[in-house]
Amino acid sequence: MNKFVAMVGTNAKVSTNRTLLQFMKQHFADQAEIELMEITNLPLFNKPENSPVPAPVLAMAKKIDAADGVIIATPEYDHAVPSSLMNALEWLSHRVHPFVDKPVMIVGASYGSLGSSRAQAHLRQILDSPELRARIMPSSEYLLGHSLDAFDDQGNLKDADKVAQLDGLFKDFQTFVTVSGHLNNAKDLNQKDTQNFDWNKL
Amino acid sequence: MKLVGIAGSVADKSYNRILLKYMATHFGDLADIEMLDIKDVPLFNESDDQTESDAIQYLKRKIESADGVIIATPEHNHTTTASLKSVIEWLSYKIHPLDGKPIMIVGASYYDQGSSRAQLNLRQILEAPGVNAVVLPGNEFLLGEVKKAFDENDNLKDAGTVNFLQSTLQKFVKFVTVINTMKHPQDTGAENEDLGANGKISTTVEGVDMDAPDWVEQAAEKTHAASGNDYVKLDRGLLTVDQLNAFLNSMPLELTYADSNNQFIYYNKMAPAEKMLAARTPAQAGNPLSMVHPKNPRVIKHVKEVIHALRTGQVPEVSMPVPGNNADKYVVHYYRAMHDEQGNYMGVNEYVQDIMPTVKWYLAKTGQKLEGNPDATTSASVDANEPAADTTSSASVDEAAPTADVPEPKTPETDADSGASIND
Repeated sequence: MNKFVAMVGTNAKVSTNRTLLQFMKQHFADQAEIELMEITNLPLFNKPENSPVPAPVLAMAKKIDAADGVIIATPEYDHAVPSSLMNALEWLSHRVHPFVDKPVMIVGASYGSLGSSRAQAHLRQILDSPELRARIMPSSEYLLGHSLDAFDDQGNLKDADKVAQLDGLFKDFQTFVTVSGHLNNAKDLNQKDTQNFDWNKL
Repeated sequence: MKLVGIAGSVADKSYNRILLKYMATHFGDLADIEMLDIKDVPLFNESDDQTESDAIQYLKRKIESADGVIIATPEHNHTTTASLKSVIEWLSYKIHPLDGKPIMIVGASYYDQGSSRAQLNLRQILEAPGVNAVVLPGNEFLLGEVKKAFDENDNLKDAGTVNFLQSTLQKFVKFVTVINTMKHPQDTGAENEDLGANGKISTTVEGVDMDAPDWVEQAAEKTHAASGNDYVKLDRGLLTVDQLNAFLNSMPLELTYADSNNQFIYYNKMAPAEKMLAARTPAQAGNPLSMVHPKNPRVIKHVKEVIHALRTGQVPEVSMPVPGNNADKYVVHYYRAMHDEQGNYMGVNEYVQDIMPTVKWYLAKTGQKLEGNPDATTSASVDANEPAADTTSSASVDEAAPTADVPEPKTPETDADSGASIND
């Protein structure tokens, strides 16, 4: 059974993106082991030249390293990914590089009708950068609009079509993780490249 | 033009900060650029609202009072930085100082990309409805391989780069002017100036008759106004009300405050009405401007035109010598628009002064004398910028305000200025 880390893409105490990941954890419990990971309590990234990587960052990197893939749920603030998630990803690409070749599935929920579409496109662009080099599942989007009304009291998705769509995408993600495991010809080089990636040496 | 610059980095060393500093020091003739610090702004968290914190209020104030903003963004992970995004999130959550604000984006990066993707991304963010800034289109300034771009004095080495940056900033300065002109409310015309002060502004004291002779006392009671030994914090200093009165009443000027609602709310009572150049009486304070001017339609029209020109910024000041001025006495009424820190119109500062003593003193001190110019007509001395005020209308001062309880003026020549007025 695959082990996935599910990143809550916000530091807000209440978020339907967290609800969505909690639903996935329980809904897919027979197919995969999903562990939620929060991004709160990280300091603001300031590109430190010498100081050690903060302990919470190391702990997150370790979890991602050990996982078969990562699911990220992102809200949308100002047509983009929230700064708290950007901040976490900056830390997770500075002297630690757990995302290299890591399969990633992007989902998102929003109060409005668009379901964080622009934030998801933004997140793809970020994860594609040379410092992160994640393997984002291609041609897939899970946009949950009107998320305040999407869940019942038990935290279950109410709309059967939306559940069916998520089921399909999650199966595809499992397959993508397997396929991704075979795409390993450049893996060592990618790892090395990223580890050697240093702003100061550019 | 006043611009503020934000470098989108909280790193100790930031080439984007250096780039903005370079612009501030080298292009001072184009705009006055003040650098804003975002170091103390916490990471945005909607569960822990810090909108009222000093760091965010400081940015809000500075941005609101600036004509435009320049943002220099680094590129981290193909996008702008979390620290900059966080600042924008604070400035689009409970407050919206960037709304309608002209913005220019520049960026420097270690790569040859020069922050190209971060800049595009930043545009998208600034376009979001909560931010709603107006970003200068085109004119991308991408400074790649930034480590090689500056010399040891933090000056840009390449002349072509400097020229391009300068021309981009020139375009931005024009853009700011155009955008900020668009924002000005439609001019409703001078005839809509309400001299009856029927409107209401945040400082209008309600429930007190503007006509009341003891308006000051009533309004003071209503507002629990400071008086006597109460301290008043001023820009810049601290005085008691008594000190403030002594100070204002000893000014060699007759000062009048008419607020943006066209209510006459203050004059410095330096002398009894009959001893003043432009008589004001204690009972007049609080009156709408319509009550302190003659009801003559020509006068009313002129008063409205002057106030409107000041309110809309067509002129910063209107000055009018009163008729009957002579070689010994030359009384001038000055009307100057007042504004708050954000540039909002706050009313008219009218000051009246006889400038002859100053002129005579100057002549005596420097051993000079005045020489008449036969071509000059004395009535043409009305400020040339003054809208629609012909020389005859400035003579409207010779109509005494019927509501002003003023004794007969001593000299017929200065009969002029009896009203506590904006117009005369």
